[in-house]
Amino acid sequence: MSQVTLYHWEPNANSGKPMLALAEKGVAFNSHYIDMLQFDQHKPEYLAVNPQGTIPAMTHGDRVLTESTAIMEYVDNAFDGPELMPADPRDRWRIRWWMKFMDQWLAPSFSMIGWSMFVGPSVRQRDPAELEAAIERIPLPERRVAWRKAIHGSFSAEEMAESQRRVGIGIGMLEEELAKRAWLASDQYSLADVNGFNLAYAIPLSQPELSNDEKTPHLLEWLRKIYERPATRQTWAMGRTDMVKRVAILEREPA
Amino acid sequence: MAEMTLYHGEPNGPSLTVLAALAETGLDAELVAIDLAAGERHSGSVPHGVATEMSVEGEGPVLAVGGEAMADSVFLAQYLDERAGARLQPTDAHARWEMEMWCRQTIERVAPAAAFLGNRAHTTPRLAAMPDAEFDTILDSIASEDLRKRWTDTRAGNFPDAQEADSRSKIVQGVERIETRLGDGRDWLMGDFSIADLESFAWLAGMEDIVPEAFEGKARAAAWIERMRARPSVAQALNQATSDDPRQSWAPGPEINRWG
Ligand SMILES: N[C@@H](CCC(=O)N[C@@H](CS)C(=O)NCC(=O)O)C(=O)O
Repeated sequence: MSQVTLYHWEPNANSGKPMLALAEKGVAFNSHYIDMLQFDQHKPEYLAVNPQGTIPAMTHGDRVLTESTAIMEYVDNAFDGPELMPADPRDRWRIRWWMKFMDQWLAPSFSMIGWSMFVGPSVRQRDPAELEAAIERIPLPERRVAWRKAIHGSFSAEEMAESQRRVGIGIGMLEEELAKRAWLASDQYSLADVNGFNLAYAIPLSQPELSNDEKTPHLLEWLRKIYERPATRQTWAMGRTDMVKRVAILEREPA
Repeated sequence: MAEMTLYHGEPNGPSLTVLAALAETGLDAELVAIDLAAGERHSGSVPHGVATEMSVEGEGPVLAVGGEAMADSVFLAQYLDERAGARLQPTDAHARWEMEMWCRQTIERVAPAAAFLGNRAHTTPRLAAMPDAEFDTILDSIASEDLRKRWTDTRAGNFPDAQEADSRSKIVQGVERIETRLGDGRDWLMGDFSIADLESFAWLAGMEDIVPEAFEGKARAAAWIERMRARPSVAQALNQATSDDPRQSWAPGPEINRWG
């Protein structure tokens, strides 16, 4: 039995970050799949681990860690294996800047679009009373608001437009940044790449007008390079829903 | 090692964190004072780039190193600390995670609330008194559309009541968290002095006048604030002030979460 247990959903967004970081480090972990669409994250067994009722969470021995980006930094510091942060202080600053920008500015916009187009529709047809009871069990008020909006499809046109605007800007910024260096924010494969891949792997599929081989060649090359890594293959093989198949767009044409 | 220039606002909020972190490390940097609430960070005389223009922190200090314009106070403090040889961050992986979590919560919850309340109290009157043409020049120089919107909202005094109430409660919770953390008699939030102390103090110092109820009956937090003020690096940073009370210096900052 490994000392590490990860509570996660699909390899995607916040869950995928520690999954991929652990795989890159070569750290074996007990995988505890939380089905977000069945509200597993609000059940008492999971609230005993993370009272906030959000995923992911990781236990290492008797310690509980939350917050996906901070978990990744912990994984990098606590275990042997390839370094996922370069030594140069300025590279480290740039990696942290990009991770915060993605976590707090760009990812919420992708997430809003994803919740409105995918999460909401996948649970909406269930019994309304059952859904309302499920919402009432959510510990964080902001997550209750999010679920209500997703289930009732009550996103305003204005907030959706703002999210789409940010997605467009963010794709342009990623393309520009990836043209500067071998990897995102440094010359070495790092946590910024792990974070960024989880955010961006489905972009060419979901935003084909904004991201394709002509408009964003560096972004596509970067995604394909990460998708080829054994750790990425291994991590995406852990997905259980059709969501993971979105990654197929990154397969290279056979030479 | 590359030379550094720190373009900083009055010692309050993110500028206070970075000025004090610089003093802690003893590193050499040229200091250039700028008026953040006059939009000077965008004026062309301050180096800029994607990291300053799109910084989640909004208006904050800029550190120029080797042709790169760097922003975001916690990460600038980490940069200075790592460049000088690590004293402001725990080395143990778990303690390090705790510090990062603390800073993240401060950045995500306390900072947007403090910026909301601080700007409402102090920046709105200043911007409202500014001639339109002058304000428009500032707006034209700001690359980020959402930061521009925070400037126009600030000038118009557009601060929704629900967000005000929520911001006040976030400040109350922020001080409570410090009080609880100090409950075992420790002097500093992470045991040893760290960037978590700097970032927490920098955002909360200006809240004593605006949300006094948050500090009432919080003896440990009050003693910690006194220790912070007495700390030589913080005193040195506060000495950079050019106004009577730097705690009244704010500029449009991080936005309140739009999607949890
Ligand atoms: N900042 C946290 C956010 C965690 C979070 O909100 N995760 C989402 C999934 S990506 C979640 O748990 N949603 C479940 C819910 O809202 O019920 C992190 O990065 O770990």
